[in-house]
Amino acid sequence: MTIATEASQAAAAPARPQRRGPARDFRATRWGWAYSAPAVLVFLAFVIVPTGYTFYVSLWKWNALNPALSKFKGLGNYQRLWDATQPTFLSSLWHSLYFTGAMVIGGTAISLALALLLQRGGALLNGTRVAVFLPHATPVIATSMIWTWIFNYKFGLADWALHSLHLPTSQWLQSSSSAMPAVVIYSLWHEVGFTTVVFLGGLAMLSDELSEAARVDGCSAWQEFWHVTWQQLKPVTVFVVAITAITSLQAFTQFYQLANGGPAYATTTLSYLVYEEAFVFSDTGYGAALAVVLFAVTVFFTLVRRRTASGDSHALV
Amino acid sequence: MRKRISAAAGLAALALTATACAGGGTSTPKSDAAAGAKSTGGTGTGTGTGTGTELAVPTGPVTITFEEAMTIGTLKPAMDKLVADFQAKYPNITVKLQGEPDYATMYTKEKAEVQAGNAPTIGQAYESWASYFQSSGVLAPISELAGTDTPPQLSTFYKGIQDDTKLPDGKTWMWPFNKSVLILFYNADLMAKDGQSEPKTWDDYASVMKAVSKDGVTGSTIDPGSATAAAFGTQWFEILAKANGAALYDKDGTPHLNDPNVVKALQYMKDLKDANALATGKNYPGETALGAQKGMFDISSAAGYGFENKTVGGKFKLGITALPAGPAGAVNELTGTNIVVFKSASADQKAAAWAFLKFITSPEEQAGWAATSGYLPVTSQALDQPALKDFIAKNPYETAAVSELDTAFALPGFSWIFKCQGYEATAIQEALENGKQPADALGTAQSACAAAKAQG
Repeated sequence: MTIATEASQAAAAPARPQRRGPARDFRATRWGWAYSAPAVLVFLAFVIVPTGYTFYVSLWKWNALNPALSKFKGLGNYQRLWDATQPTFLSSLWHSLYFTGAMVIGGTAISLALALLLQRGGALLNGTRVAVFLPHATPVIATSMIWTWIFNYKFGLADWALHSLHLPTSQWLQSSSSAMPAVVIYSLWHEVGFTTVVFLGGLAMLSDELSEAARVDGCSAWQEFWHVTWQQLKPVTVFVVAITAITSLQAFTQFYQLANGGPAYATTTLSYLVYEEAFVFSDTGYGAALAVVLFAVTVFFTLVRRRTASGDSHALV
Repeated sequence: MRKRISAAAGLAALALTATACAGGGTSTPKSDAAAGAKSTGGTGTGTGTGTGTELAVPTGPVTITFEEAMTIGTLKPAMDKLVADFQAKYPNITVKLQGEPDYATMYTKEKAEVQAGNAPTIGQAYESWASYFQSSGVLAPISELAGTDTPPQLSTFYKGIQDDTKLPDGKTWMWPFNKSVLILFYNADLMAKDGQSEPKTWDDYASVMKAVSKDGVTGSTIDPGSATAAAFGTQWFEILAKANGAALYDKDGTPHLNDPNVVKALQYMKDLKDANALATGKNYPGETALGAQKGMFDISSAAGYGFENKTVGGKFKLGITALPAGPAGAVNELTGTNIVVFKSASADQKAAAWAFLKFITSPEEQAGWAATSGYLPVTSQALDQPALKDFIAKNPYETAAVSELDTAFALPGFSWIFKCQGYEATAIQEALENGKQPADALGTAQSACAAAKAQG
């Protein structure tokens, strides 16, 4: 059958009336529930129930090896949050916020800057994009082990580089004052590749017309970026900030491998403290109470972000 | 928004209710569960004193699983030989090793296996871990295997080793395995060049440390440990405190971390740090610095001999000597773990495990184990065995090290002592790294440890 024959048959066929009813809302049908059941069940089994179980365990002095020996403590574990001295709950919360703030501000600024530098094509820049993204594709545990040696103050690459440049060296992970900045440096190295790619995606979607109009109107490069480019990138920025804040609050591996929460609790964040109490000291009930607080903090920041976000940003997060 | 929050709250409440209904805990512990915690389990007597009848070696095929961390360096061949020798003697028993890369991973795996109802037959455990397992009712006491709480083999072990097999309830819950004490490794060539000699007291040690700390060399680099893990630096601090005459902990676990003699020990370390004769690091930093000829001394386990030797690699003569003494005399601390038997093992597995425990602590096997692994023999009878005689002839430090097994101390076997060692490590870090006064740092540690004891 030729194309011409098909076309003539189509022309000869009586025209059927086009009936376009309202789109079906599958949430209201049995098939809708059936199709979504596998995902809902997985989510229920691995997220909702464990979350509820964590609330439950937080009310007990929980014996993980023999739950029948657990003792009901009510809100006793939450009271301990305020009584603990080594470390204090507030110091751990502060370390979480410090790390999150540094990652959100530093990570967003650096990745936006990198994206602006790398947005033009070309073999060299494409290669650089890959190089920037590559750390994010590496396992945190493996690269943390390598950075432990980079930060070694006797034999490490970091101090060697500073020394070679006649700059003051640092104790890095050995000192309470420099341990958290060292973890931030590592984390930025690992994470900015992802957020840079997100910004690059956002930049690729922007219209050139507004920028051209701005330049015609005499805007400087900075004014063009500030008033035109970044304004259009706001939904992407909100996404980057939200994702970075949530992942930073939950960050654990680098704290575990690089510094073990030390020295002297200088890198003990809430998420590390949850691990320490629940899995090292087997103080499961107290660890669960800390996890509930971490959950509440994360929810709080998510709600704040949703309250402060506007317009298109809702579509992204 | 409100609807969404209400829905989320409802979902959480539903999950809470569902999990509460699922059980897992009671507001008043069930009587059988409580009894289970105290019971010796299985064929035991319930009192932990034994039936008087030792479990006989099974005649049918049995497989026992052993959660262990002897997986690197000379430890693996030593471990493999123990198992091979045992299986050659008892061909019907298979010992399946479940090797882990380090103690922390091993402990996590042991706990996870117990929680999953799939505990190994036996596993390595520190005293505080054994205490946690015992208080959770998942261990079988030695009396259940040997028929008595004081099997005859126990009396052949060094006194310090014997004491270390008991938990604070006075009963034997562990069997010795890879035990050691700390010794002093040093760069013998550098010491001779500097005109120094082996320190006999801790005061001598400080003098030598300060004298040799020049031209890029630091007296010693230690790992002070962390909140979650003690290290040799933590144990050195404990030894210094005891050598000053401090109690550190009473038998019931009451801490004395702000005792003047404990403060004196930390002040000693701080003075060395302030004099640039002591540095801190992680991942066996003393061994690394010694091997790189950047450090004079390394205080480490006698079992670390093979690793130290490898790191030095013949670049200089490696000196080895016993730890110096303090005003209260020579003091040392046991390192390494014991073996515990999990209650969930079958009767045949327990019998096979008991045969294995006795076998690996026999003089013949201990001699081979010590000569290969670097750990110390737990019985003096091993010293007469040819394998160990040869080793001692080449490594005279071994004699001094084993002589300390009678008096070497171990911290009281409470689960929360693990936390207190973390507080000690933090106090060391505060004093050495953050310039905090030792009395203040240890005062904080004392309060935290007392709180941990109260929490239980």
